[in-house]
Parts: sequence; C-alpha cells; structure tokens
Amino acid sequence: MMLARVAGNLYWMARNLERAENTARLINSTTHVLLDLPHGATFGWSNLAEIAGLDDLFAKTYPEANEESIMRFLIEDETNPSSIFACVRYARENTRTLREVLPAEMWERINSLYLYVRQHAQAACNSRRERYIILNEVIQQRHAIVGLFSGTMPHDDAYQLIKLGRNIERADMTTRILDLHSAISFPDDSVVREALVERIWMSTLESLSAYQTYRRLVAMHVRSNDAIRFLLQDMRFPRSVSHCLHEMENCFRLMPKSQQLQQLTALLRLKIAQHATADLDAVALHEYIDLLQMQLGEIHDALLQNYFHAWQDGALPSAQAQGEIEFAQQ
Amino acid sequence: MELARDEYATHSAYDELLDHALQPRAAAQPLFDYLNSLHEDELAKRRQAVDATIMAMGITFTVYSEAGNIDRVWPFDPIPRVMGRKEWESIQAGLKQRLRALNLFINDLYNEQRIIKDGVFPAEVLQDSANFRPQCVGITPRFGVWAHICGTDLVRDKDGTVYVLEDNLRVPSGVSYMLENRQVMKRIFPEVFRTTNILPVDDYPMQLYQMLASLSPRAGEQPVIAVLTPGIYNSAYFEHSYLAQQMGAYLVEGSDMVVGADDIVYMKTITGLQRVDVIYRRIDDAFLDPEVFNPASVLGTPGLMRAWRKGNVGIANAPGAGVADDKVVYTFVPQIIKYYLDEAPILANVPSYLCMLEEQREHVLANLDKLVVKPANESGGYGMLIGPRATPEEREQFAELIRKNPRNYMAQPTLEISTAPTLVDGRLAPRHLDLRPFVLQSDKLYATTGGLTRVAMRKGSLVVNSSQGGGSKDTWIVEDAA
Repeated sequence: MMLARVAGNLYWMARNLERAENTARLINSTTHVLLDLPHGATFGWSNLAEIAGLDDLFAKTYPEANEESIMRFLIEDETNPSSIFACVRYARENTRTLREVLPAEMWERINSLYLYVRQHAQAACNSRRERYIILNEVIQQRHAIVGLFSGTMPHDDAYQLIKLGRNIERADMTTRILDLHSAISFPDDSVVREALVERIWMSTLESLSAYQTYRRLVAMHVRSNDAIRFLLQDMRFPRSVSHCLHEMENCFRLMPKSQQLQQLTALLRLKIAQHATADLDAVALHEYIDLLQMQLGEIHDALLQNYFHAWQDGALPSAQAQGEIEFAQQ
Repeated sequence: MELARDEYATHSAYDELLDHALQPRAAAQPLFDYLNSLHEDELAKRRQAVDATIMAMGITFTVYSEAGNIDRVWPFDPIPRVMGRKEWESIQAGLKQRLRALNLFINDLYNEQRIIKDGVFPAEVLQDSANFRPQCVGITPRFGVWAHICGTDLVRDKDGTVYVLEDNLRVPSGVSYMLENRQVMKRIFPEVFRTTNILPVDDYPMQLYQMLASLSPRAGEQPVIAVLTPGIYNSAYFEHSYLAQQMGAYLVEGSDMVVGADDIVYMKTITGLQRVDVIYRRIDDAFLDPEVFNPASVLGTPGLMRAWRKGNVGIANAPGAGVADDKVVYTFVPQIIKYYLDEAPILANVPSYLCMLEEQREHVLANLDKLVVKPANESGGYGMLIGPRATPEEREQFAELIRKNPRNYMAQPTLEISTAPTLVDGRLAPRHLDLRPFVLQSDKLYATTGGLTRVAMRKGSLVVNSSQGGGSKDTWIVEDAA
C-alpha cells in the first residue's frame, strides 16, 4: 500500500538520478572523442544541448554555444531542469519527502551526492581534466545508490517504481543520443566524413558504456546500421531501448492493476523488434526516433494516470458503505 | 581541555556540570575524565567530524525569512549535558503527574466543567481562551486523554531548583533531534559510551507507535497510522519524516486524505482509497479541517472532525487539547494537580503574575524592568518582553499592549537559568540552556529518558529556540555512583 503522492516522488527521483548520470556520461564521452577528431572536422557543441532536447532553453540564456557555455548549461545551471546539478537537487528534494519509505542510508547517500555536485560543479565546468574526474565520481556515486536500492530495499511497489523511473529515463536518453546523428552535418570530403561518422558512433557507444560490449557482441567496426540496431533492439545490452522496455514489463507485472501498462510496453517492444533498421537514413532515423519518444511518453502518461491519480477512479464511499469495502487490494 | 575561566569568573548561574569551585559534579566526572584524556587537537577534529556527520545525515531545520526558506544544518554542541538518574527519576514522576492532571483538566473543560463550578478555575479565563474549541464540547476521546504528546520545557534556577517553564500540548517538536543527537554522539565519541553508563533514549519511536496504535478504532487489526505534516516547507518537516520512518507510519499531507460520506478517513494510494485509523497530526487545530475551522486552509483535510467525533479515527493530539497550552492556564497548574489528583505538585511552577488580575497587573506594570512578560498563546519565544534587556521605549509599548488586552499576558521574574560548558572557539564556556522532555499518555504514561537540551550559543543569551540561533546538546542520564 503506497500513497499516490509518494509513488510519484519515487518515480521522479529515479528519473532525475538517471538523467544526471546520463548527462555526465554524455559529457565525458564527447569531451573524450574531441581529442581524436581528424583535421578538418569540427564538432558543434550545440549538439549536446540538442540531444537533451534543450536547445531552445539554451539559446534563451546563452548568446554562443561553445564548450564553456554548454558545460555551464549542462552541469551547473539551476535554470536548466536537466542540468546535473538541478537533477541531483530535485532528486534530493524528492528523497526528503521519501525518507520514511526508503532505507535509512539512502538519504545520506543522495544528500552526499548533492553536496558533492554543489561543491564541484564549477570546477567541472572550468577544466577538462577535473571535469572527467568529477563526472566519473558522480557516476560512481550514482552506482553506489543503485546498488543500495537493489541490495537493501524490499522489492516492493516502491522498488518497482524506482526501477520504472530509471528504465524509462534510460530508454529515452538512448533514443536522444541516437538522434545526435541526424543532427550533425558532416563535411563533403568523403574520407573525412567516413572517419568522422565512425568516430561519432564510437563516442555514442562510449557514452552509453556500450563500446566494449558492441565490439564483443556485434563487430569490431562501428557501422551506423549495426549500432542503431544494437542500441534499439539488442536485448542483452542493459541500455538498449528494448532491454529497458523489457525491464519495465517485469516491473509492471509485479505491480497492482497493471494489465494495460504491461500491454502497452510489450507492444512497443515488439514493434521495435520488427522495425527494419537497415535502410534508415538520417531523416528517417530522426522521424523514427521522434515516434519512439512519443510512444515512451504515452507509457509515461498512462503510468501517471494509473498510479498517481488512481484514487480518483473510485468514487468516495457513501454513507452506507461504513468503510467495510476494501478498495482494490491486490 | 581549557575552561573559559574568565567567563566563569563573572558568572553566577548554576552550572549543570561544574560546581562553584569549577570542579566536575559527580555525574559529570567520567565525562571530564574522558575529555581530559583527549589530546588538544583531538577535540577540534571530533568537532569537525560532528559537523560533517550532521551535514551528511542531513539533520536540518527550515527557517522562514524574506529571502525564502533556508534549510539550516542543526547546530549541535558536542559537550553533553549530564544529569544523575536519581534526580531525573524524580523529574520524570513530576512530568507524568503534570500531564495526567492536565488531561483530566482538558476533558473536564470540554464536558462538565466541574473545576469552574467548584471555583478553582475562573470562567473568564476559559471564555477568553484562544485555544478553546467549542466544536469539541461534549466529546470524550478514548481514555479521556486529549494531549497524548507533551513537550515540557524545564529550566533550572540559580539555587538549583528545576522549574516548569511551559507545557507544549499542541504540536511540540524536537524529539527527533534528541534521538539524532545521540546517534551523532555515538558516531563521534564511541569510547565514552563504553566507560560511562549512559541510559539509552531510543525507545521513544516504539513508545510513540504503541501510544498511537492504542487510539485505533479498529481493535485487533494492524492499525494504519499516518503522520500528518503541513509539508516540506514546515520548519519541523525533518522531524515529521523522521518519526514516520522510525515508526513505519505513512507521512501524509492534508491533500493525501479524503473523508467519505461514511465519515471515515481514507488516504489516496496507488490502488485507490485506504482507511486511516490514527493520525499523528503536526498541524495546528486551525488548519486541521476547513469544514469546521479555518475554511481557507489547504493544509488539512475536509471532514476530519466529523470522522473524529464519530470515533472513526484517532487524532493525536486531540483537536482542542491546546486549551491547556496557554501561559495563563499555566499559572493554575499547581491548583489543577491538587484539584484532580489531590497530590502536591512534584515539579515547581515559576512564580507568575496574571495581568488579568488588577492587583497583579499593577505590580507587573510597575516592575516591567525586572520581569519577563509573555503573551498567552505564542510559542517559539515570539512576542515576549525580557524586561531587564528592553529599552524604555519597548517597555512602554508593552505596557500599552498589556493594558489593552490584560488576559493575553502573564509575567514572571527573570530567572537566572542554568548553564553548561559549551565548546566555543576551542574552550569550554558557560552557555544557558533548558531541557524539553517528551511525555506520552494514552492508557499508560511514558516520559523520555532526559530530553532535548537546547542551548543559547551566544554569550549571555537566554534564547534557546532554534529559530532564533539556539543549538542543542545530547542529554545524558547516567547511573549515580554507588
């Protein structure tokens, strides 16, 4: 039995923590790949804001997209609700309302992560070397938090909601990172272009900690079609969209009154498995990803409606009921 | 360990840990032996460790200010306040006696009003009481108990006498800090807990749970208990969440609950509505139920009073319990104890003057420079005048307030409240403090072992409220030496 408001806060806490980690990964791998770019190729920093779907917000506050402004925006800017600092702060605020349903150490861990980011965000913006170390520390602390969840929390509804938040955010981020490729305009020189395309794909896989796995499971060379299929469909890789959806199905199966949500999630996974990735050009990929994000949004909305507003379905008990009715206990 | 001898030299208050020759009192001797065994910079290191621990544990309270709500870290002094078990047990007996009498008094006020008919308590005081709730008349909650949780503020005067300063019967806070202070001490000074026999404090959440469970209208079933909080912006939110967590209770806001036409309280869960049996409310009466009290309140739940009157939900403290949490009522407590229990009060009241009585009012107005004047219904140290420290203009303004509304004011002599050594700039300096034990009553009575010691961190200051710069200490009740 769980309060609807508490359920919502758990879900958002998990999404925010996942987003903070994903942003940290994205920044680290991008910074890394820049060092290897061939002559004549340039990387537009604004792509990073686009991936996060935040280019409009960015353009409002910053006159120019360069490394410094993008880092400020993605790491420490409080007005950007997806910046690492903002996400960690929201997660901490959420956790504050959840202390009674979480293991006692959880608050200390998340509070420590918040204090760490607050103290180091600026240094991470200013220096590439420090940025790498600091963002890695953020990722590690996040891992410790996930470990604490799975190792100490009862695997009850609260646990499933956290897992749901984590996986839907993860799936969403994977689609966004894929979308990066449709946003880049590559140079005309075919040799440079080919090298650049592969570089960017390597960076993409790296940002999802997928490069090593890809080489082991798929191929040594990174080709667009293979990478797209891997990140969308490969059930073995924990950050592929299909894997995330499968995790969500498992969560729903353990949650009360979840039949519709189970169906919705399974259906989307099935459709992804059947979608041919071989002939997707940049435009088609972008359109397809838009569609996927919309469908993930539908699952999100249905989840909100089903759990966080669940009580509205049952009309208030009448005078005759005298509290003898047990409501939808499962 | 260096003592601030210069500060102690000009100091006339009772010190909890040191006698007049600045030697440790018997109960504090093991503590001082321990402190003296620590290397000079060891204490400074521990002090830093305390700060880091409190920061990591996120023990905070919120202060309202014009700049928005600031989440402040709970200020904690690592030097504990120590009291011998024998003295404490006598205080404990006094606390229980007091709450037992106060509950009989509240139940009488809402029912027969025998104490008024017998001429022991003046009807005018009740008539003008801001916390009397006509909506509660005729109700007798289970066990006849209204104030289930009481935080009693105690101070010690110059001659060593312990006085009750006030009884907080509405939504007393601070108990979580009492519990967390002990956790912090155990983490930072684990050695001393081996060498000193310090009585544990951590049974409070279990006692609180049992008290609340005893109020459940559904006997024999595991009760659903909810802690009702005004929300994250309340200064005591940390405590609400902490207690819910410790008890395994649900932390709810008013909008998380609804009351059906069946007069039963439900909370909104992910699977629908679920019945609530007991509410530990941490919001004031006025906001509890917009159907009955303040109609503009968004903190409460419409219909709570209906459900409570029908006996379908237990509420602690009961609505209306605050009638006895009034500084004018306070002055009558010795008579109240005598009247209902036919016992002599174990704990002393501070001698008080009631401004509603003409003779006493004239005395107060003539001696404003020597007295502390308090409004009847404020808490947190707001709206009071500390005569000896006020300017003549402030005293004149206050005299005007008293003449306008005499029922609302009472006055007491300025007590020289006791001190304890407190770590200030690397030295132990005397700082004034009070003690807030917590007392529970349902079918049985319980009082915490010690309580929350609040300390005024500024030199000479008497204001211990956390909202006004106070800090706190761990409170040790130790076995007396054989």
